[in-house]
Amino acid sequence: MDRFAETAAPAEVDRPSVGRDRRSAHPWNVVVWNDPVNLMEYVVFVFRKLFGHSQEEATRLMLQVHHEGKAVVASGPRERAELYCYRLHHHGLWATMERP
Amino acid sequence: MSSPFRSERDGIRLRLDVNEAAVLEQLLPLLATVGERSEGDPAARRLYPAAYRDAPDDDEEYWRLVGDELAEARAADRSAFAETLAVAEEGVVLSSGEAEAWLRVLGDARLLLAARLGIEREDDHDTASGSPEWAVLSYLGYLQGTLAEVMASTLPTSHG
Repeated sequence: MDRFAETAAPAEVDRPSVGRDRRSAHPWNVVVWNDPVNLMEYVVFVFRKLFGHSQEEATRLMLQVHHEGKAVVASGPRERAELYCYRLHHHGLWATMERP
Repeated sequence: MSSPFRSERDGIRLRLDVNEAAVLEQLLPLLATVGERSEGDPAARRLYPAAYRDAPDDDEEYWRLVGDELAEARAADRSAFAETLAVAEEGVVLSSGEAEAWLRVLGDARLLLAARLGIEREDDHDTASGSPEWAVLSYLGYLQGTLAEVMASTLPTSHG
């Protein structure tokens, strides 16, 4: 949890840590896909719990998944991406990993 | 119908009536029908989805590494669910860990039911909505939604 919280809180910019400038250092994106079953309030709870997001940020991400069909929820080295992916699967979210 | 979950100082109080408990007792045998990564079952494909969509070798390696761990984590969730469900008619206070196990077990059961009902898009709910399985799916959604709401109020107000 603590490790997740650290990665999830970019101090320098007010946007997700997947900006173009960081791609070379963090080559794997974790993507959550929309599904017609998981409840919106549950997905918000999972994003808050796993990534340490505020209610507002978790809601923004959930709505991005809902409206655009998917959202990048984290990026990082492969091992860390797999850990996030595992935890999202444990919570029943449809998550995959890909290179940006 | 009032929510069976209530936030209290020492955890989340759960109290079910006999009919509610009887429905939930069916979930564990139902979930036990899902074999890990069995290709023929849409519920297994949904609960153990491809982690690498276009790289079958990477995906196989990933599931070789974490498949058992995820199955064990789910077994632990179901044990916590079963132990607290067994006393839920008298009323029981769930720890945050137990409450999270409840969220996941309810969610897993919903994913299983939906997958076997062929619900892949929002519209598919309309087609499935006459069936008894869909009624259970909907009831479990009510429970999970109210529990998630109560749990959200216990999360620390965070950065971000």
